[in-house]
Amino acid sequence: MGSQKRIAKELAELTETAPEGITVKLADESNLYIWNVYMEGPENSPYQNGTFHLTLTLPTEYPFKPPTVSFRTKIYHPNVTNDDKGSMCLGMLRADEWKPSSRIQAVLQFARQLLAEPMPDDAVEGRIAEQYKSDFARYEEVAREWTRKYASSSSSGRA
Amino acid sequence: MTNITLEDLLVMESNSDRDDVVDLRSLDYVSSYDDHLMCPICHCPFIHPVRLKCDHVFCQKCLVSAITTFAAARDEFTCPTCRTHTGGVYLKLPRLLINMCDEIRVRCPYRNEGCEEVAPRVFIQTHVDKYCGYRLMDCPLGSCGMKTRKKGLDPDGRCLHELRQCTRCEGNIMEQDYGEHFSELCPNLQTTCPDCQTSILRRELKQHANSCPESIHACPASKYGCPIQLKRGDLATHEQTCPLIAMGPYFEAQNARLDSLELTIRHLKQRNEIFEDGLANIRTTLAQSPTAVPVADGRATTSSPTRRSNDPASSNSQSQIDSSNQYTATTTNYLLSLHESLREEVGQLSHAITDLDARASMAIMSECLRIKEDMAHTNAAVSSVRMQVQWLLNPRLHQHQGAQRTGGARTATPAGSSPAAAAGPSTSTIPLRPRRLSDSGREGTKL
Repeated sequence: MGSQKRIAKELAELTETAPEGITVKLADESNLYIWNVYMEGPENSPYQNGTFHLTLTLPTEYPFKPPTVSFRTKIYHPNVTNDDKGSMCLGMLRADEWKPSSRIQAVLQFARQLLAEPMPDDAVEGRIAEQYKSDFARYEEVAREWTRKYASSSSSGRA
Repeated sequence: MTNITLEDLLVMESNSDRDDVVDLRSLDYVSSYDDHLMCPICHCPFIHPVRLKCDHVFCQKCLVSAITTFAAARDEFTCPTCRTHTGGVYLKLPRLLINMCDEIRVRCPYRNEGCEEVAPRVFIQTHVDKYCGYRLMDCPLGSCGMKTRKKGLDPDGRCLHELRQCTRCEGNIMEQDYGEHFSELCPNLQTTCPDCQTSILRRELKQHANSCPESIHACPASKYGCPIQLKRGDLATHEQTCPLIAMGPYFEAQNARLDSLELTIRHLKQRNEIFEDGLANIRTTLAQSPTAVPVADGRATTSSPTRRSNDPASSNSQSQIDSSNQYTATTTNYLLSLHESLREEVGQLSHAITDLDARASMAIMSECLRIKEDMAHTNAAVSSVRMQVQWLLNPRLHQHQGAQRTGGARTATPAGSSPAAAAGPSTSTIPLRPRRLSDSGREGTKL
């Protein structure tokens, strides 16, 4: 399996020199293909002070097929579906946009960037996108409330 | 620089897929290497690199995997990095770059077996094939099925996996491990205690260490900070004087108390969080209600001042508990006043309705009276006209009766008609005369 070597290498790089606000570890030590990612909400965003749990799933054909990212923690965001799946809409993860030379680190950093700057024109939750554009203050208030409720350190089990 | 065809690529790949070839990608790379020498697909230094038309370089094996997993036709294959069409052009790389990749030093793949060899990557295959003593080889005896390190192979080709009985402990030990067992690991081997220098069997060493009077032990109160370490024999006298041992029970009680307090604090924290959540919920519902109600009723006189006092409170989500109490009071007041004003309005409306009702019935009554009067007038007029007509017809009736008496009953009608025609010019209603005549005649007979 050529993919395992590369995945192990990327995992080692990410655990040694973790990008700002992102912690990675395997969900199950014997399975390289499912990662648990803990992402801190970027500063000066309504997600600040929240820690979001994401699952990164790699296909066996990685790096020829793109990984998928889903939020385990509920989040009020135009680009994340508000259901059990919490799938995130990332342009670079679409099958026709994905390139084998893209790295997981780039994917995670892009995901965190999306928390800082949502893209309402490319939304999966139309209602939130509409609110983001028309009533930003209210959107911020709800997003902050959800962050406090679902993603604060006491509720995510970090304490 | 020569061209490689796609078929060459695929063939080269399948040739190199043999079992005994070292997988260069799974090796442990010792020396650091430039990131530019790293294949973007497998993240290893290039192995048999191939260059595309767009100047991007990949390992030959990675490129073949990319081509075989490519969705569209192989002729359409695009560069995995920049998506330029390759056009079926695959080029070799300068020798210099290949050498740079090959020179990176790696560890022997049998490092876990004990081989410490570190060599340039290009030589590692030769090392494994010819020199590495730790490479696992199949046992010379085919039926055995176990593996042996290359250097442990018996020169005579015997199987070293047969069991042999140890002369000391009577355990069964494999032939290849026997030497080490006999001289170092056998539990029946005689050793000496490092503390008291008595000779003892290896398997009893652990028990002895617990009872050896010469061995050094720490004071039982070392966990509270007593630094003293003494031989077991002297330790008993120290224990009687050590102040920390005397304090021991007290320390333990304190620790237990701290633990229970921490537990209580954690419980309280959880409860506090639950309360805060509830409070936040109440606050948000309150903040939503004043914006919803005034829309429904713009006429409520009390709405604008209340709204003004509520708005700052709702925007300031961090307001404290006392302000939220005030909040509840003002909202209740507001709702009550709204209710009052609505009730007043309903009263006014019912007044207006009874008023209208009375007016309507009055109008109907007066109209009825007028119509009754009119009818009386008409009746009077009709009766006066009748009287006039009767008066006018009376003389004629008398004539008629007179004619009947003189003439026969058969000639009465034609005779009656001719005098009537003669008398016609005297009346104003000429066309209706015959009818009137008969009518009044009948009336006359009735009367």
